[in-house]
Order: sequence, then structure tokens, then C-alpha cells
Amino acid sequence: MMQWLSNMENTKPLALVIFFVVFVGILLYVFANKKRSKRLESYKNIPFLEDDEAGEQKDKDSRNG
Amino acid sequence: MAHSAAAATTQYNYDIIKKFALMALVWGLLGMSAGTYIAAELAFPFLNFDIAEITFGRLRPVHTTLVIFGFGGSALFATSYYVVQRTSQARLASDWMANLTFWGWQLSVLIGIIGYMNGITEGKEYAEFPWYVDLLITVTWVLYLLVFVMTLMRRSQPHIYVANWFYLAFILATAILHVFRNLSVPVGLFNTTSYSLYSGVQDAMVQWWYGHNAVGFFLTAAFLGMMYYFVPKQAGRPIYSYRLSIIHFWALSFMYMWVGGHHLHWTALPDWASSLAAAFSIMLLLPSWGGMINGIMTLSGAWDKLRTDPIMLFLITALSFYGMSTFEGPMMSLKSVNALSHYTDWTVGHVHSGALGWVAMISFGSFYHLIPRLWETRLYSVKLVYVHFWLATIGIVLYIASMWVSGIGQGLMLRAFDDYGNLAYTFIESVVFMHWPLVVRMIGGMFFVSGVVVMAVNVAMTIRNAKLEQAALEAKIAAKMAKAGA
Amino acid sequence: MKLSHESIEINAGLMIVLTLIAISIGGLVEIVPLYYIKDTIEKVDGVRPYTPLEQRGRDIYIREGCYTCHSQMIRPFRDEHMRYGHYSLAAESKYDHPFQWGSKRTGPDLGRVGRKYSNAWHTQHLNNPRDVVPESIMPNYPWLLRNELDYSDVADRMRALKIVGVPYSETEEEYLANVEQFGAAMADQFDINRADQNLLAQAQSEDWDGDRTRLTEMDALVAYLQVLGTMVDFTQYDEGYFAEFR
Repeated sequence: MMQWLSNMENTKPLALVIFFVVFVGILLYVFANKKRSKRLESYKNIPFLEDDEAGEQKDKDSRNG
Repeated sequence: MAHSAAAATTQYNYDIIKKFALMALVWGLLGMSAGTYIAAELAFPFLNFDIAEITFGRLRPVHTTLVIFGFGGSALFATSYYVVQRTSQARLASDWMANLTFWGWQLSVLIGIIGYMNGITEGKEYAEFPWYVDLLITVTWVLYLLVFVMTLMRRSQPHIYVANWFYLAFILATAILHVFRNLSVPVGLFNTTSYSLYSGVQDAMVQWWYGHNAVGFFLTAAFLGMMYYFVPKQAGRPIYSYRLSIIHFWALSFMYMWVGGHHLHWTALPDWASSLAAAFSIMLLLPSWGGMINGIMTLSGAWDKLRTDPIMLFLITALSFYGMSTFEGPMMSLKSVNALSHYTDWTVGHVHSGALGWVAMISFGSFYHLIPRLWETRLYSVKLVYVHFWLATIGIVLYIASMWVSGIGQGLMLRAFDDYGNLAYTFIESVVFMHWPLVVRMIGGMFFVSGVVVMAVNVAMTIRNAKLEQAALEAKIAAKMAKAGA
Repeated sequence: MKLSHESIEINAGLMIVLTLIAISIGGLVEIVPLYYIKDTIEKVDGVRPYTPLEQRGRDIYIREGCYTCHSQMIRPFRDEHMRYGHYSLAAESKYDHPFQWGSKRTGPDLGRVGRKYSNAWHTQHLNNPRDVVPESIMPNYPWLLRNELDYSDVADRMRALKIVGVPYSETEEEYLANVEQFGAAMADQFDINRADQNLLAQAQSEDWDGDRTRLTEMDALVAYLQVLGTMVDFTQYDEGYFAEFR
């Protein structure tokens, strides 16, 4: 095992495995847990939490008018 | 309402955003005009007029620098400062540092282009800035990173909104790319020339590692940050999937840095490097389209907005062009396709479908959203936004189509053989063939520039109206006060 | 309150670190090995640094932005072989700071343009391309003939290039090493202490721009163009030799 790891030739498959595992890890982290999914999706409302929506109002006026 | 609006202008630093936004338009107009002019020089070479400063070779870096760093860069400064403040609900961390980033950046662009016209260049595409401007940019960029991160730390809630992730990745990646691409030794303290630390094949690899990631992080990741804020805001509904944005952010950040080698297919760069780059280029299609899907699907269930809102039209068209050019790109990175497309106008067309279709269109859309909010007024004319949209779209279509004809045509001509196995065409015959496509490309450029002129008028009138409104309001208040006093 | 603030800071910092890791791997994997893998650059005789005059010509080539329309990288295709010659080797640009492979051929490749045309042709062509190629869309460069060549800083330029790795010599020891590697005639050319006289001598050695009484920018640029792609003698090598390095 150690010998396989220390052989430079094997860096490519090794890197592939590492990156693939990380990628699957991110996928699982993001999608597997229902509660976490819900929490993550709630963040998409951040742009709408602004305390000043005056501009919005004016923009709607201009579109209607 | 007047109260809350006043609060917004004091709560946030809008002044710096206004400055950057206006300079983006100024540089954009100049840079796109320069582009149209050099396009005309290729169609009608007498336009070089034997004036060294305006020959194609010297004006071309002026064009690329103005549109990428002048227009694109200023647009990114403006929108990132806006987005990071609004999504953090915190004022920009440091006014004076933000101001320094403004002057540092504008000065870099200005010194750069004046230098190019006078023959001061490092001769590396998109990194032509001489060494002293490179230093100025480095300082400016460190300040930018500081302002951005310090503002993030002031945010009023635990989560950092995804648009800021993209901006942050862009700032970090650009810093690394800029420093390592521009390592060079000046001839002297008072000499404008410096020689690159790298040579030959290594210099080539560093160049396209830099060059392609200027596209990847400067012109893609950062503008995706723009998209992740302005598309949901303009649509009035949150982004389609937040989890998709996380996945495609990490995939994009990781994969982009691998693909630069596809600019060096069939060259003296070792095969393994360009093949690896091609493999990643193909894979990159997925995260790229992740972003496009996320943006477009935000409109799902509210498609009618495209009929009523020209700003939305800009944003969604930009995403469509993004999807198109991120499909075309991986295809051109295939070695067999690249053998034909490389060195031809096809590449130029591809770049512009991204630069005009994606970068410029998403910026225009965002600016139409941003500018009335910055000046607390409404847009002078929605009709003119439609006019701009159609001028821009027609311009892009003419541009891309003519470059396909010119590029694929030249590629095919140069590799054609006659019945006896001799070359069927001389090089100059392919140049003659390209004349009409080059003329059409120039016309496409003119359409696009006219669109920006329309936008400039619209913005100027919007700001003028805002000032008039402001003055009227103040007069009213003064009159009221006077009455109350009496 | 304190705790949450702290965790936020950690979060932003973590974000930066993770992003840096993600964006660094690709570049490292593709660039670093190019310096360590033995066959990145072919083993081949003849490739040498530029002489002072050629280097000044190269500076002018860069100044005018020639790379925006001309490549210096011939690909291994039949049509390019017939049109331009043997495909370009990595070794042939190993002293090029920066490389000028280019990315666009609005005009033809210049990787092997050296000695294909006469000095007089180049001078006439650069002065007004349409005099020799009526359909050309290249700009005129009349100022190259008008401008005196500024060579006041050529030694400084060679010194800067020496720092980035070009084997120009300043000491006796470096000079002797160059004699060994490039032969005495070329080693003399690479001696920084004699840069000015070498440049003037080479300018006189040939009729570059048609007028030996004046040293112009045209002299330098033509000298540079005439050396492009001529350093390696391809008749010395077997057909398959260079393929080993690809």
C-alpha cells in the first residue's frame, strides 16, 4: 500500500479518487440532510432582507407608469 | 419613505459605487469604440493613417484593456461594493480605502492605455501593463480585498450570501494570477521595459493559465456574482436553487484553473498538459451550465416578466449567451476542432459572444437596476432600454456570425489541398476572402456601440432628473420652513 | 454575542482558505512539472540567445504589437509544414522573455520567416506592405526607417535578461562558458561589456535597411526577423527524433 502511494506514476488515479471523494462529500453535505437543505435554501432570501426597499417602490412605479 | 431613503444613502457608501459605475460607462464607451475602430482598420487598412499611436498593433491592447479592466473591472468594483453592502446590511468598511481603490484602478487603466499607444507594453496578451502599473494594481487589489473582507465581517447575520462567494473567489484568483503572470525584471528604475521571469514554453503556459482565468474569474465568476444578486432582485423572487449555487461554485473554482492549456493545443507545450486542459474544459461545461440554469430558472413561473421588463430581457439574454459560449468553448478545446479554429477569427467571435453577450449584457442589465437606486429616482426612459437591447442584440449576432464565416472559412482554406497535393490557397487569398466578414463584424460593432451611446444618454438624463427632483424637494422644504417661520 | 462574532470571522477566513486551495491546484499541477520533466524542452543544437541588435529588434517587434496578428508557433500539420516549414520546437523559444507564440494569424506565421525573404523585401514590406503584397491589410510602418535606433540601454537590457536566465556574460568565467557552449564568435556577441560595439558591428555587417550610413529601428527589426527559426539545422536530426518530446 505504502509502496503504491509513494510511486509517482500513481498520483493521477490517486488525485482522481481524492477529488471525486471531496466532490461526493460536498454533494452529500448539501443534499443529504433535510434539515440542512432547508437551512441552506433559506439563505436565498438574504437579498430581500434589506431594510430599505424605497428603490423597489420607485421601480415598480416606473414600470406601471 | 423619504426618511428611509435618506437613511439608505447615509447607511451605505453609495458615493464610491456611483463613481465606479460612471467610469465603467466611460471606459466601456471608449473601449468599445476603440474596438470598432480596430475592426475597421482590418477591413480598411488605410485607417491606420501611418500614425504609430493608432496602428492596429498598438490600439488592440488599448481596446482589450479598456473593455476588460476599464469597463469590466469598474463594473465589478461598483456592483461588488453594492452587493456586499446590501447583503451584509453593513456600510463599506473603509471609505478612504475604497476611494484609494477607485483612484488606483482608474489611474492604472489610464497610464496603461497611454503607454500602449506610445509603445510601452510587456507584449503579453491581457497583461500588457508595464511593471510600474503592475505594482500599482497590486496595491489597489490588496486594498480591494481588505475593504471587501472587512465589510463581510461587519455583516449583520451569520451566513455570507453566495454572490459574495463569487466576488471573493474573483478577488483572490485575480490577485494570484496577476502576481505570478507579471513577475519580471525591469531594465532599470527609470526604464519602462521589463523582461518576463519565464521564457518560451513555461512563459506560454503561465500566460494562458493567466489568460484563461482572467476569463474564468474576472469575466465569469465575478459576473456570476453580479447575476446572483441582480437577477433575483430584478425578478423579485429568490434564486432557483441555493444548493445548486454552492455545488457549482466549488466546481467552477476548482476546475477553471486547469483549462488554460487548451490555448496551446498542437504547440510546443507537451501533449499531456494540453490534453489535461482539454479534459477539464469539457467537464467545465457542467458547472458553467449550473450557473446558467440557476439564473434562468429563477424566472420559472414568471416568464411574462420578459415581455414587460426590458431589464429582465438583458439579464436573461446575457445568461443565454453565457450558456452558448460555455458550450462553444469546450467544443473548441477539442483538439480536432482546435486544429481548425485556433489562430482564426472563430476564437475572436467566441470571445465576443462571451464578452458582449454575457459580460456586457449582464452589466447593462445590472446597471439599469442599480442606477435609479443609487440616485434615488426612476429611469429616464424604459423605451430607450428596449432600443439599447435590440441594438446590442443585433450587433452581437452580426459579430458572431461574421466571425464564424471568417474563422471557419480561413481555417478551411489554409488546410485545403489541390489534386496534386499542393496547397490550394496562399495565405493572402484567405485574407482577401475575409474582407466582407470583417466589414460585417465592423457594422456589428457599430450597432453595439450605438446601444451603449443610448444607454449613456439614458443614464445622464436619469441623473439630471434626480438632481432636479432633489432641488425641487429642497425648495419645497425651504418654502415650508419659511412659511412655518412666518 | 462575542462567540457568534468570532465564529463569523472564522467563517470568512475559512472561505478564503478553501477558495485558495481550490483555485491553486490546477495551476500548480500544470505549470510546476514543466520545469522538472526532462523532455519538456528538446535537446537540440544551435539555439542561442539573441545578439544585441536582434534583441533590440525583438523589443521593437513587441512595441508595435506584432504578436496581435502574427504567431511564431508552427503546428505539426501537413499544410503548416508546406507553408511555413518544420513545426516549432520548445527549444527554439527557450531564450524568449516573453514568448511571442501569439494566438491569432491575421497575417502568416513568422516562426521560420528568417532568410525566406531578402533584407530589401522586408524593408520595403514594413515600410508599405502593399508595395510587395497588394492585397495586404497590414499597417505601414514608415517610422521604422525614420527613427534612429536607440541603443543607449542595450547593456542594461542584457543585464536584466541575464537575471531572468539568458546566458549573457559579464565575467571572464561566464564568457568562457559561453565559448564552450556557443563557440567563440557567438560568445563575443553575448558579452555585455561589448554590447554597444557588437550592435554597431552587426548593423554594419549587412545591408539591413538599404542605408548603411544610418542606424535605424528598421535595421534592428529586420535583423531580428531574419534570425527567426533559423537557429536549428533540421537536416541533422532524424524524422522521428523530435516526436519523442511531444
